Amino acid sequence: MTSITSKTSELPFANLLKACMAPAAEGPYTLVLIRHGESEWNVENKFTGWYDCPLSPKGVEEVIQAGKLLKEEGIKPDVAYTSLLQRAIKTLNHVQEETGTMWIPVTRAWQLNERHYGGLTGLDKVKTVEKHGEEQVLIWRRSYDIPPPPATADSPYHPANDPKYANLNFPEEFTETLKTTLDRVLPYYESKIVPDLKDGKVVVIAAHGNSLRALVKHLDGIDEETIPNLNIPTGVPLIYQLDGNMNVIPSEQAIAPLRGHYLGDQDEVRARIEGVANQTKK
Amino acid sequence: MFATRSALLSSSRLLSKKTVIPAFQIANKHTLVLVRHGESTWNLENKFTGWYDCPLSPKGIEEVTEAGKLVKAAGIAPDVAFTSLLKRAIRTCFEVLDQCGRVWIPVTKAWELNERHYGNLQGLDKQETVDKYGKDQVLIWRRSYDIPPPAVDKTSEHHPSNDPRYAGHDFPEEFTESLATTLDRVVPYFEENIVPELKKDQTVMVAAHGNSLRALVKHLDNIDEATILELNIPTGVPLVYELDENMKIIPNPKGMAPLRGEYLGDQDAIRARIEGVKNQTK
Repeated sequence: MTSITSKTSELPFANLLKACMAPAAEGPYTLVLIRHGESEWNVENKFTGWYDCPLSPKGVEEVIQAGKLLKEEGIKPDVAYTSLLQRAIKTLNHVQEETGTMWIPVTRAWQLNERHYGGLTGLDKVKTVEKHGEEQVLIWRRSYDIPPPPATADSPYHPANDPKYANLNFPEEFTETLKTTLDRVLPYYESKIVPDLKDGKVVVIAAHGNSLRALVKHLDGIDEETIPNLNIPTGVPLIYQLDGNMNVIPSEQAIAPLRGHYLGDQDEVRARIEGVANQTKK
Repeated sequence: MFATRSALLSSSRLLSKKTVIPAFQIANKHTLVLVRHGESTWNLENKFTGWYDCPLSPKGIEEVTEAGKLVKAAGIAPDVAFTSLLKRAIRTCFEVLDQCGRVWIPVTKAWELNERHYGNLQGLDKQETVDKYGKDQVLIWRRSYDIPPPAVDKTSEHHPSNDPRYAGHDFPEEFTESLATTLDRVVPYFEENIVPELKKDQTVMVAAHGNSLRALVKHLDNIDEATILELNIPTGVPLVYELDENMKIIPNPKGMAPLRGEYLGDQDAIRARIEGVKNQTK
């Protein structure tokens, strides 16, 4: 409840009105990030990127659990953002279902998509290692700004061939790095999501490994060397509290270098953070 | 090494395409798909539902999955969707879009598309209400054009002021709706929000409720008050309208009078179902 200041020149009911009207919120603001649950191509260990594969059954369970954790924590989203990819969209649906917030406005934006994997989209990760060597693949996966080979205009994975992106122009040859992903995630966050937070709305973003890496790099001031290797486990809600200046209020339960905290069993979360690193090991 | 700089997406290159309408596409048809939500758990329990937010029953989920398949088979690809703030319609919307592979399209949720509010009959069993008030009175409340059921006041859990999803709108102290008042909020919403999308050549889907869709088709098909009351729109059956460039309905030869739109699916089964809804208070 904000304090009511009285001025002698105001109408008698002005203070009462002020108390009744919701003031512009001063924080702390709550931002919930959640990486989509395990997808079918995660299971098949393929480079996914913008390929629109569904959640695996395990992934569905993960995100239902995520929704339950949010509910137990007493977090009720007011507005939600997600990508154009069904694994994130459905992750969000389950979270909304569990928290009883099916009715909130949801905005779907390509800017929150996973990083596009160019010509590696659809390829098996281990076979790609066999073909190009572990080091090269590690560079493509975990470099900040070295791109994988591009998808060409005739590739089914080129966005020009996908109706989702019909109103956008893409280069003939298209690929992304974590850097270029950040270049489209952050402006979107600043222009669309920050205003909602400043309005006092609890925002949930259901997105992807790299689009969330981009976001936490910005939120937590993580450097370019560290961020590519930071693993955000699937289907675990990551909660940030921000002050009135949109700076993160570090959580005591944070797992460095993040300053937000994961919900759920902390040991299990730590184990899962390690697990993502092992996808190209044989 | 593998990718040229031009393959990387810089935000300045990602410009929106201008919409170009080919010269030969002079008379554009606009497609509007209406779907009434599938059977809900309270339909099953034969209760007056109104704005109570019950989920689809398992059968309802099957119905709307089937509806989605029919929309897909008809070659209809919604570009934008509208639904109510009630999860049985929101879920219906999602399931249909999922079958069409279009879960990524923008979905707008609006209270103006909600089912008609049933005042203080919400939550009551339909048959018990007949036993209590008599068949005629209940028939009036259910099927009168403008006689509303008794209102709820703000002490009732069914008053929208007690539900955060309606926080942005002022509702009268005593609240109830008739088909007339439902139309009074559905049609302006349709004109202001949905028609502009149709005019932009967007195929629009509306997933809503028995009475909000009655309001809409009354308006679309110029149906009189006496007839609209008797008109039953079966659950989970897509109803497709084509409009010309002046937003006039192009009557479909398969339209089941008084409707000029076409139901998708087995026409005999649909006719049988249209009869079925009448029997809920016999």
